[in-house]
Amino acid sequence: MTEKVKIRIDGEVIAATAGQTILEVARTNSKYIPALCYMEGLSAVGSCRLCMVEVSGVARLLPACTTPVQEGLAVTTSSEQLSNYRKMALELMFAERNHTCAVCVSSGHCELQSLAQDHGITHIRYPYNFPKLTVDTTHPRYVLDHNRCILCSRCVRTCAEIEGAHVWDIAGRGIGSRLVSELQRPWGEATTCTSCGKCVQACPTGAMAEKGWGVEEMTKKKAAVSRLTSMREGQ
Amino acid sequence: MMIQDFAAFSAVREAGLAKLLPGKPRIAVGMGTCGSGNGAEAVYSAFSSEIDTRGLAVQMAPVGCFGFCAEEPLVNVWVPGRPLLMLHRVQPNHVDTILNGLEHGELPPPEIVLCKIEEWDHLTGHVKYGTGYPDVPNWNEVPFFNGQVKIVLRNCGLINPDDIEEYIAVGGYQALYKVLIDQNPEAVIEQMKASKLRGRGGAGFMTGVKWEFLAKAPGPEKYLICNADEGDPGAYMNRNEIESDPHALLEGMLIGAFVTGASKGIVYVRAEYPLAVLRLERAIEQAREYGVLGPNILGRGFDFDIETVEGAGAFVCGEETALIASLEDQAGRPRPRPPFPAQKGLYGKPTNINNVETWYNVAPIVSKGPAWFTETGSPKSAGTKVFSLVGKVHSTGLVEMPLGTPLAKFIYDIGEGGTNGRDIKAVQTGGPSGGCIPADMFDTPVDYETLAQIGSIMGSGGMVVMDEDNCMVDVARYFIEFTHSESCGKCVPCRVGLDKALRVLNGFTVGSATNEDIQGLDELCRMVRDTSLCQLGMSAPNPVLTSLRHFRHEFEDHILAKRCRAGVCEDLALSPCENSCPLHMNIPRFLQLYKEDRLEDAFLSVILDNPLPASTGRVCQHPCDNRCRRAAIDEPVNMRDVHRLIADEVLLTDKFDAMVGRVLERKLKPTGHQVAVVGAGPTGLTCAYYLALFGHSVTVYESRPQAGGMLRYALPEYRLPKEVLDKEIELIERLGVKFEFNVNVGEGLGLNELAEKHDAVFLAIGTWKESWVYLAGTELTGVLPALPFLEGVERDEKMPIGEKVVVIGGGNAAIDSARTARRLGADVTIVYRRERKDMPAIPEEIEAAEHEGAKLLYLAAPHRIVGDKNGQVRAIEAVRTKPGEFDTSGRRRPVPTDEVIRIECDTVILAVGEKVDPDFCKASGLKVKEEGTIEVDRYSLETSRDRFYAGGDLITGASNVSNAMGIGKKAARNIDKRLMDLERSPSLIPDFEYKMEAPETPSEYGRHVPIEMPAAQRVQSYAEVSLGLTAVAATEETARCLRCDIRSAER
Amino acid sequence: MDKPKIGTCWLDGCSGCHMSLLDADEAIIGVLKKADIVFGPLVDAQEWPVGVDVAVIEGAVSSQDDLKLARTARARSKVVVALGDCAVTGNVPSMRNGIPTRKLLERVFVEGSTEGRGVPTDGVPALLKQASPLQEAIKVDVHVPGCPPKPGAILQVLTDLLEGREPGLGGKLRFG
Repeated sequence: MTEKVKIRIDGEVIAATAGQTILEVARTNSKYIPALCYMEGLSAVGSCRLCMVEVSGVARLLPACTTPVQEGLAVTTSSEQLSNYRKMALELMFAERNHTCAVCVSSGHCELQSLAQDHGITHIRYPYNFPKLTVDTTHPRYVLDHNRCILCSRCVRTCAEIEGAHVWDIAGRGIGSRLVSELQRPWGEATTCTSCGKCVQACPTGAMAEKGWGVEEMTKKKAAVSRLTSMREGQ
Repeated sequence: MMIQDFAAFSAVREAGLAKLLPGKPRIAVGMGTCGSGNGAEAVYSAFSSEIDTRGLAVQMAPVGCFGFCAEEPLVNVWVPGRPLLMLHRVQPNHVDTILNGLEHGELPPPEIVLCKIEEWDHLTGHVKYGTGYPDVPNWNEVPFFNGQVKIVLRNCGLINPDDIEEYIAVGGYQALYKVLIDQNPEAVIEQMKASKLRGRGGAGFMTGVKWEFLAKAPGPEKYLICNADEGDPGAYMNRNEIESDPHALLEGMLIGAFVTGASKGIVYVRAEYPLAVLRLERAIEQAREYGVLGPNILGRGFDFDIETVEGAGAFVCGEETALIASLEDQAGRPRPRPPFPAQKGLYGKPTNINNVETWYNVAPIVSKGPAWFTETGSPKSAGTKVFSLVGKVHSTGLVEMPLGTPLAKFIYDIGEGGTNGRDIKAVQTGGPSGGCIPADMFDTPVDYETLAQIGSIMGSGGMVVMDEDNCMVDVARYFIEFTHSESCGKCVPCRVGLDKALRVLNGFTVGSATNEDIQGLDELCRMVRDTSLCQLGMSAPNPVLTSLRHFRHEFEDHILAKRCRAGVCEDLALSPCENSCPLHMNIPRFLQLYKEDRLEDAFLSVILDNPLPASTGRVCQHPCDNRCRRAAIDEPVNMRDVHRLIADEVLLTDKFDAMVGRVLERKLKPTGHQVAVVGAGPTGLTCAYYLALFGHSVTVYESRPQAGGMLRYALPEYRLPKEVLDKEIELIERLGVKFEFNVNVGEGLGLNELAEKHDAVFLAIGTWKESWVYLAGTELTGVLPALPFLEGVERDEKMPIGEKVVVIGGGNAAIDSARTARRLGADVTIVYRRERKDMPAIPEEIEAAEHEGAKLLYLAAPHRIVGDKNGQVRAIEAVRTKPGEFDTSGRRRPVPTDEVIRIECDTVILAVGEKVDPDFCKASGLKVKEEGTIEVDRYSLETSRDRFYAGGDLITGASNVSNAMGIGKKAARNIDKRLMDLERSPSLIPDFEYKMEAPETPSEYGRHVPIEMPAAQRVQSYAEVSLGLTAVAATEETARCLRCDIRSAER
Repeated sequence: MDKPKIGTCWLDGCSGCHMSLLDADEAIIGVLKKADIVFGPLVDAQEWPVGVDVAVIEGAVSSQDDLKLARTARARSKVVVALGDCAVTGNVPSMRNGIPTRKLLERVFVEGSTEGRGVPTDGVPALLKQASPLQEAIKVDVHVPGCPPKPGAILQVLTDLLEGREPGLGGKLRFG
């Protein structure tokens, strides 16, 4: 799979390897496509729908994170429609749960928050759901706040694919979907958890955090998680 | 017995034929889930035990369903040499008679005989049942079956699904045998491609191409999956197919497996289909036993096995990647494609998934060839599709039609139109992923491309018909609620977007939505459609987007008028009767007040809702009757006659003056505003009455010498005594309304002049122009338009009518003219071009005309009026018509035949409808619509000129009294709101205190109807025909009300 | 010509956004040169006056009184500015939304009180079922998020509005 192909991203001709996704090619070439559920080093699931792009000759929008490149592909990464849809997707994530950024450990270092800022969001046009959600503080070192979870499943994949423990999964369906550890067992009692904390580092928002930090104090080491994969691939 | 060679195959076939056509009578009961649900089990056992008891030589067999669900249970009775007789709605108590008839060679009672089948083309085989029963229609002469082409359903309802031998008897497994002998998989794939068979699960991908992908994918492990996770509400074709003919599915998959090199087959079927699972598993077992499944199939060295997997019923598992995840014991969530299942499917191996119905087409294509298959259907969509035709349609069931058949054919011909004569509004195709198509687009051909173009999809074939009782906002809400709860939750647009869309739609149904919500909903739905991960999310917004496109006015009604015309959104209405009443009378309130023996309060309640209660109590079309929930128990409450009695008891008695005083007490303080009302018909009078109550100074300008409009001049005295109307008008006058008669606005008095003198002007001049049809001979002496005729009689003028009168038309004016002519001593015939049920007149009036001796001639289109040499009418000639195709009004278009009917007569009254005076509209300078009526804002009733409002027939075209009054009432409310900048109408109604208690058990009284004068006496005079209810009857009638105005929370 | 009128109020909030406005220090004088503040915590008016040009509202809508004031302000003002996270997102006041109001009041005034005087009823407005952002109660024209928004941002919005420009906040604000 080392066949070389040429594609265009926003008009610019870029060399890529067949089998790479549009997002991978864009990132390696410093072309910005927003994404939340995508994380380097993890399998792509295409669930946040922020990386939707226009591909010429294809009537519908395609997710950059799961669409493989092929010779001659011409991608448009931003347009009025795309940015409008991205904005709406972000607003929907905010309206779904209780993010209350003002009192969040990750405020100022949150991917969701910074994407909202990038997209010029000043308020949410949809009524808030205000669901009643719990905070799991049973783990001695970490905390899981469902109020801030956007169900991107990065923790699920980090734990399953990198740590190999598969503590996390998503239960329920639709708007009732919830992140669960083991079979709904509190995190602190999860026997498969190795307390490695990589899930916490992979989390884009303040849903998973280390204990002991105050508002705006928690920064995450995402690169460390991604690096593990690339180091293993290098072996 | 293992079939390992052709001899064995033939032997099984012979054995099957001997069961299908035994040497003795065979009785087969349709025992699909639909039949069983309607009592087929009981019918089957009644037959069995009775046959045992009598010791009859009759063979019994269970079969699947022949598709006519509305007529279940279906029973086939076959006597050697005779046609297969199909009986419908068979109950155990019919068994005796049927068996008696069988013994004596007689037909069962005609009411249960549906049709006969003399021979049947199973496509893979042919069965000749026999001939006879000349009086019984052939199966395809029954409207429901007429036009159906049974390819997929070729065996359904005719063979025993539990017996492989019967399947082989009708040519089953022959196509498989052929493929195994030919050993040329590529040729079969080419055949499939040439047949243009497309996936029947909804997406419509070419089946042959899909097979080719799998054939070319590297083996040896490859999977073949049948998607039987049918989950659309209202769709059940797959269930019936499997229940009725499971072997055809196995055969299709076996052929597919051989040509694609698949190693294993799986049928993913929902666990909610227990009977389908059972029959399929039995079929698989039998197939293994007979050597058509498993190792060395039919002795041809081909190995393949199929197993069933029961899905837990998540809708999203119908999506192929979610289905695969579910098969792999993972949560049923889809994943992005690519990779496609043909590359990386079940357990990462190449996989092909086809819908149940797709597999059913395989064997016939193999045995009859692709050219035969493409003969049916449209160029791009070959073959047939099975649809489940359900909802508000007369005949429901499974319908297999060629692709490209127009929707109208399904709904009006196969389905025979609406239930109880209701108007059909829309059809929803494709289930929760599809869209709503309005009735005026029923000429749309049903194929993949056309449906997609108009925003819907074919989907798995659900076809849900909606009529005027369905609220399209609620329908959209229902489907979003469904997809919302079935969303897997993986991607943001579907998980959160549908949740928000549902909240917005809920806002519409309770009246809290705003104008911006329409725009916002549209935008949100587009986003969910364009960015969701799988087909569930991508198509879930379709019902909303199509409803917004085709039924936007219903969404607007919910927010601007806070009304749900269909009466579905309960929060927007007091009760079904109130919602249906054009005047929105609080009907439960006056019924209860009368029940409490408070006549004065009841009258006040009535008169504040409706200024002409005695007139409307006589002539209203009473839409409330059609909505009354009491009808579910026995008959609707007679609301109209109760309010007539309440009105009469005050208006025509000495209570009148005191009650005028009580109405005057409700009048608001004088505002100093001057309002002009043009036209003193029901619309103008209603508007003037409310404007006066609001405290404005009102002047009514009328071109005739008296007030009342059509009520006075078009309604004969025997329906509405003018003494009653006079009292109502007196009350309005005593409220302070001034009348100026004999003033022609537009001619004598200009609109500009009106505008100068008044703060607002309301135009309601009605429809006084008789529509003049093109008909040879209308210039003859003795031809009269209906309105001038009725008006002349009313004014006591001598009308030039002769002894033999023909009335042309079917509306109320036609019936009124006929009954009036009868009273003038003439012999009367009414000529109408459609069927009786299509007549727009009130049915009771048509009946009364008949009782009074008027003759009715239906299905006759007047063609010319014949005159004598003096130019005097001598006869009328009409062409006999027959009911043809359905038109957009849902009625059958009259089609002329060669037969001409001649009726001798000397007078012809034309009552073919009235229209607005085009000269007035043109001269007014106001914006006029195409059909000649004045254009107004739907909600405010404002015309194109500031402070000018219009209403009644002037904006709607000829309508009826109550509709016109409803508009007058609305106009008054809007004019007042504009003048006062405040919604003041609630302040007119005092606090009536009355019991808010629903009856614990419904009262036992039946519906009371008014006493009528005998017909013979009626034609002698103009005295009122209906004498109304007695006080006792009315009190009993009020007790019948179920009090729908009391909500469950209060109950 | 009269100077444009500004009205301000705080609903369910901590007054921090108003403090942030005061933190603008002497720059406020620049605003006062261009407009009069006719209603607000710093002004003695008892009722929201008619004919206000810019209404600046802090806080979430939590009680009947909040709702009434917000509606009055909306009806009597040309432009409504939602000031700060509570007004824009519901923020901290909305954290009580998952709890039924009766339970909430009992937790605070009965279980959490040593005085034991129970849930107050006199002189306090009834709580709404949920505290909601301002735009769910009334139409909002300009949103200024922040907890609190920076003094400069508030001044910028006010100056833009007073000078008849569309408020340009690009980059100055962080949502949430």
